[in-house]
Amino acid sequence: MSAPCMHPSCLLLLLLVVCRHAHTNLVSVTENTTVTTEPPVETLSPITPPVAPLTPLQTGQKSVVLTGENHTEKVEVVNPVTLNLECVWTGDNKRLPNITGYWTKDGKTIESSYSNTQLQNDRYYLRKEFSIMSEEDLGTYSCIFGPKAKVDFILAAPYLGEMRDKPIVSYVGDSVVMICKMDEKKSKPINWNWYKHNGTSKEKIEVDSPGHRYKITKDEKKTKLVVHNLTESDSGVYFCGAVYGIGTSMGHMQLRVITYFEPLKPFLGILVEVLVLVAVILLYEKTGSKKENQSGPEGNPDQTSNLSHGENAVADGHSGTARQRKV
Amino acid sequence: MKASPVEGPDGGWGWVLVAALFVCNTLVFGLMRVFGIFFVEFVHYFGESAQAISWISSIGVATQQFFSTVGAALGNAYGARVVVMAGGFLTGLGLILASQATAVFHLYLTMGVITGLGWGLVFAPMMATVMAHFTRRRTMALGLSLSSIGLSAFAYNPLFQLLIESYTWRGALLIAGALAFNIIPCGALIGPQKHSVPSMLQRVSSYMALSVLLERPYITLVLATSFMNAGFFVPYIHLVALGRGARFSDYQAAFLVSSAGIADIVGRLFSGWFTDLGYFRMIHVLTTWAMLLGLSIALLPVSTLTGSYLVVTVASVLYGFCSGALTALPFSILPQIVGVGRVMGALGLLQMLESGAGLLGTPLSGYLRDITGEFFISFLVAGSFLLVAGLILTTQPHFFSQGCEEELLCCY
Repeated sequence: MSAPCMHPSCLLLLLLVVCRHAHTNLVSVTENTTVTTEPPVETLSPITPPVAPLTPLQTGQKSVVLTGENHTEKVEVVNPVTLNLECVWTGDNKRLPNITGYWTKDGKTIESSYSNTQLQNDRYYLRKEFSIMSEEDLGTYSCIFGPKAKVDFILAAPYLGEMRDKPIVSYVGDSVVMICKMDEKKSKPINWNWYKHNGTSKEKIEVDSPGHRYKITKDEKKTKLVVHNLTESDSGVYFCGAVYGIGTSMGHMQLRVITYFEPLKPFLGILVEVLVLVAVILLYEKTGSKKENQSGPEGNPDQTSNLSHGENAVADGHSGTARQRKV
Repeated sequence: MKASPVEGPDGGWGWVLVAALFVCNTLVFGLMRVFGIFFVEFVHYFGESAQAISWISSIGVATQQFFSTVGAALGNAYGARVVVMAGGFLTGLGLILASQATAVFHLYLTMGVITGLGWGLVFAPMMATVMAHFTRRRTMALGLSLSSIGLSAFAYNPLFQLLIESYTWRGALLIAGALAFNIIPCGALIGPQKHSVPSMLQRVSSYMALSVLLERPYITLVLATSFMNAGFFVPYIHLVALGRGARFSDYQAAFLVSSAGIADIVGRLFSGWFTDLGYFRMIHVLTTWAMLLGLSIALLPVSTLTGSYLVVTVASVLYGFCSGALTALPFSILPQIVGVGRVMGALGLLQMLESGAGLLGTPLSGYLRDITGEFFISFLVAGSFLLVAGLILTTQPHFFSQGCEEELLCCY
């Protein structure tokens, strides 16, 4: 520092500025993942190594003991991870001291994975470390002992909850709600996206598309797509995607938009049937009563009971009649 | 006046009316049960709570029972035919309007009030008309016509599932409305009725048969059926939950209800045939079935203690059988207690008065379950309600002695 600042307050100010400058540099070092800090600042005080980066690379371990001939294990992968897969086989009755094992991904053999395994503690072991970084790394990894035993590890992003397999139906002009849910027990996705299949590919649905007909709500484990003012062209397949660090897990559902004419057909059919029945019954009665009039009036149970009731009401009021039981 | 049983019609056109009542019952009580299928759709579409949606069917059932007495009064005044046909029209109208609903409140008014009112106008007059056509075979006729309720539960479930999947709940309600219009031709089958205009106010009390309220046999019957109502519906609603609580799978628990349902139909037909044989007095038969039903309901939770699915299924079948056997009897005994002339009004009143107990019965059972953590006590209480009902029936005048007296024509 140059000499001109000799006044005590100025010195104090200078000291504060220097300290503050040093402090901000210190803070930026601990937040920065890249190591491009100035050496003098680093030597000021022992700094702990940079805290874990924003997306830490986890390591995982999955071990399966195989007693039969094959086994399938589902592995849920949420973020990029280094996964150690281990297969332990109890062997068959031959008990060879040495057998060859290898790994495959999605059916294709991983050339570098051939190895000889020895019988240890009455078991055979196959281990391999896999780097699962992106969606291409997901799939089915299998360890194979000789030609006999196999364990499949199915690596995938968390599957979506129960999806409705029947198409969702709605009417022209009405609105429809489509829901995608992630199981309570599984990890929550970073984001949700919605897509519509337009014949060749999936097209992402944006909320601010012209007409403001779409509304997307995103909760932690659930997402809703509401489409207002439906038209018949809205029919088709819709996809919802749960976005995780490792990739997107898709679910799909089909929307069918129908017009009011569809239920109207059976409705009118039944109405016609009702009218026909009533007409037939009334006509039958008219012809029947004409015949009765010609042959003489006959008793009709309904008229009889009505008449007797009328008589009861007028003649006796509250007291019982011959047909009633008295207390 | 001779002390001999009332001579009356028995069959003939009556069987046609039994068929008509059979159809009406599916369109009244069968449709009531279908509301459960719509429940899930409404919760999804309107985003309302389960309780808010449940009110729709509660309002419908309560309206039907409450307006039963209105239906009876109008039936006496204007003739059952017109009233039933009008009731059928209202029932269908309510459902058709409901298909256009844009808020749950619309459903309360349409599916609840309008359709409920239509149902109320249909049930009492239709039942009374059938009863008027039978004397010795009355219970059989009623049992037969009421058996449709169980059958419709079987048939409507898949049918309405299909309708909802093809046309959504809106289309399904529209079609349900048209189906409900079939009540109209059923009513038309009643035949021409004498049309009388109520010119005096005192006719109203006779149309509602309010005079029965002053008579001890009727009051005893109302009290007994109220207790029956309180306990009767509990297993219907809670049997599946009881089954699941006993660690049976969903399908096994659902099958308990199905097996009870089948036994129910058999019970109705058997009870009808047996009662009409006339070996025993109807009041004794009614009391016996009430007590047996009470015992079988109490037996259900006890059977789950054994842990054996077979035992619980047998208990469910027993329950279903007794339940079906009991159903027709409170109705068929009515003409003997109040006289054929007042049956329609008495039936309407009966429905209205017992509905209160029915409303309370199931929530009480739910409450007992909430505080004890399981259905054991609630089933025992429901069973005990029926036993109490049986005991009340034993207080009927002349229960233990011969019912026929010199100046009276009928005995029960």
